Amino acid sequence: LFARLTGSKVLTQEDLKPVLDAMKQHLMKKNVAMDIAEKVCEGVGETLVGQKVGGFQTTNAAVKLALSNSLTRILTPKTSTDLLLSIKSKRSSALSSTQQRMPYSITFVGVNGVGKSTNLSKVCFWLIQNGLRVLIAACDTFRSGAVEQLRVHVRNLSMLGVNGAGDSKGRVELFERGYGKDAAGIAKEAIHYGRDNDFDVVLIDTAGRMQDNEPLMRALAKLVAINSPDKIIFVGEALVGNEAVDQLTKFDRALKDFSSASGAGKGRGIDGMLVTKWDTVDDKVGAALSMTYVTGQPIIFVGCGQTYTDLRQLRVANVVQAILSD
Amino acid sequence: MVLADLGRKLNAALSSLNRAPVVDEKVLDATLKEITSALLESDVNVKLVASLRTKVKAKVKGALDAQDKSKESNRRNLIQQAVFNELVALVDPGVEPYKPNKGKCNVIMALAVHYQKRGFKSAIVCADTFRAGAFDQTRQSATKAKVAYFGSYTETDPVAIAAQGVAKFKKERFEVIIVDTSGRHRQEKELFAEMVEISGAVKPDMTVLILDASIGQAAEAQSRAFKESADFGAIIVTKMDGHAKGGGAISAVAATKTPIIFLGVGEHLHDLERFSPQPFISKLLGLGDVQGLMEH
Ligand SMILES: Nc1nc2c(ncn2[C@@H]2O[C@H](COP(=O)(O)OP(=O)(O)OP(=O)(O)O)[C@@H](O)[C@H]2O)c(=O)[nH]1
Ligand SMILES: Nc1nc2c(ncn2[C@@H]2O[C@H](COP(=O)(O)OP(=O)(O)OP(=O)(O)O)[C@@H](O)[C@H]2O)c(=O)[nH]1
Ligand SMILES: [Mg+2]
Ligand SMILES: [Mg+2]
Repeated sequence: LFARLTGSKVLTQEDLKPVLDAMKQHLMKKNVAMDIAEKVCEGVGETLVGQKVGGFQTTNAAVKLALSNSLTRILTPKTSTDLLLSIKSKRSSALSSTQQRMPYSITFVGVNGVGKSTNLSKVCFWLIQNGLRVLIAACDTFRSGAVEQLRVHVRNLSMLGVNGAGDSKGRVELFERGYGKDAAGIAKEAIHYGRDNDFDVVLIDTAGRMQDNEPLMRALAKLVAINSPDKIIFVGEALVGNEAVDQLTKFDRALKDFSSASGAGKGRGIDGMLVTKWDTVDDKVGAALSMTYVTGQPIIFVGCGQTYTDLRQLRVANVVQAILSD
Repeated sequence: MVLADLGRKLNAALSSLNRAPVVDEKVLDATLKEITSALLESDVNVKLVASLRTKVKAKVKGALDAQDKSKESNRRNLIQQAVFNELVALVDPGVEPYKPNKGKCNVIMALAVHYQKRGFKSAIVCADTFRAGAFDQTRQSATKAKVAYFGSYTETDPVAIAAQGVAKFKKERFEVIIVDTSGRHRQEKELFAEMVEISGAVKPDMTVLILDASIGQAAEAQSRAFKESADFGAIIVTKMDGHAKGGGAISAVAATKTPIIFLGVGEHLHDLERFSPQPFISKLLGLGDVQGLMEH
């Protein structure tokens, strides 16, 4: 198929069609959502039509290069993913004499069972390692065992040796009010508790919810509107297929719409993603592409296992390579 | 319901057949293109979709080639039926499931409630010593569901807990004993080995694989690996109450020749629906009257 297309020539729509179709199929096999695969291929086609390929370059190679560039562009963060820097700058920002310093707060949101609580604990571990004091707010007041799950993590984390430890104050604490209560209110209390007790960061765990469940989405937006967290991190699985698009679109939209409606001014959307279960998909890493394409927001962390140290930064070049590989 | 979207698309594709004045290869191709694209969008395995397309084409080829144009409506029915059959084949491995005996937390509780309601004396054994708070989860929801449970805060060996729990409930003459294990994936070798050990210790009558409706193209490799190691005899697909269409999980049926027995449709204890292939597909296609389609 491709050999036929070698030789110097100007690429036309017809030349490209079969190659782009195969490419779309390939992207879907790598678990890129269909819509996104289509759009990416379209974009690649547009950059190539009318271009001259020749000499030793085949159409296939030209397409592959254009695809690789396009994937890199989509996956490369457009805003900073340096969480520590942003925590530190909040901590050292100037305050008027009447103001009290608020802790940096991060809310973890997402559908059921994707790994919010586990990866929140990994982020907590990483923050502690970086010398910060962390308060975990148990705002999943619905699922059985959710509070105890966090309690176990806090117990484990407070027993782990920390670089340069030896301060009298604990490095990590759990803030909980049991089950059945209003999550937004608990988050607020937790942030105040964190402020009064010198915590640097408050990590807010929320209950998993389906993106179409309006009452639950409204409740989440309320939590966000009332507490304006410094970061809202959407937690999604690397395993997720086409559903990634719908999840992210609807979480982002619901947060924006419902949080602005409740009078807090401009609605807040998702600030970044944490992609979990990266260790379970081999090279089918297409979900990362779907997620960044939909939101335009960066993947701040990648979860790659079930222990505290299984948290990484996304390496764009590796992801591109995995998606391109046969 | 959940699958309304997929159903609508499949239906639209099939009804475009009825609008075409003549059903020729071109019309068939267009219809199949719409169908495959709807399936791909629902996460059905890329290879399965391609093979469905080929099979339908092969089945109706003879009829299309025939010269007799008066058989137009027959031709339409033939295509519709071929598509229907292939869709049913996707979710029907043709194997009868046994009664369940192992799975994952939320569903497990729903299962226990399900059997309890049907007069079986049911109990849960929490053999997840890995996930933080797992036993608390079992304890709280079993209490809520009024189902007997067994587990431990101190024992860290899931194999020991599973064996003890099952022995205890057997002695107490429970009829359905469900063993919950921690979540794992094929890349986690030790956890996989542990699963095999639990199975060896419990000797379950049946093992159930629980899959999330949102799973994409990784479904095939994961479910194959579970089949090889745990030889599960049934699948339960959870979170069908959301927007996800479960195509990945459906692909697991084909990959492992194992039937789906229930769908999880919510977070509450009664959110479990029985699954059977034919009604599922006809509901999906919005075909109230399957018989009508099958008679021709
Ligand atoms: N292999 C692997 N497993 C993970 C990863 N992250 C989380 N998990 C597992 O996924 C399961 C669910 O994790 P949780 O943290 O309880 O998920 P959640 O989103 O808080 O769930 P809900 O609160 O019930 O909505 C647990 O068994 C975790 O150990 C990961 O990066 N890799
Ligand atoms: N909406 C919806 N949520 C569900 C359904 N089934 C389970 N959940 C939710 O999904 C999350 C994970 O459920 P669990 O039962 O803890 O899953 P698990 O497989 O036992 O997880 P691990 O033990 O960590 O591997 C919880 O928040 C459940 O309430 C379902 O059918 N619909
Ligand atoms: Mg949780
Ligand atoms: Mg569980």
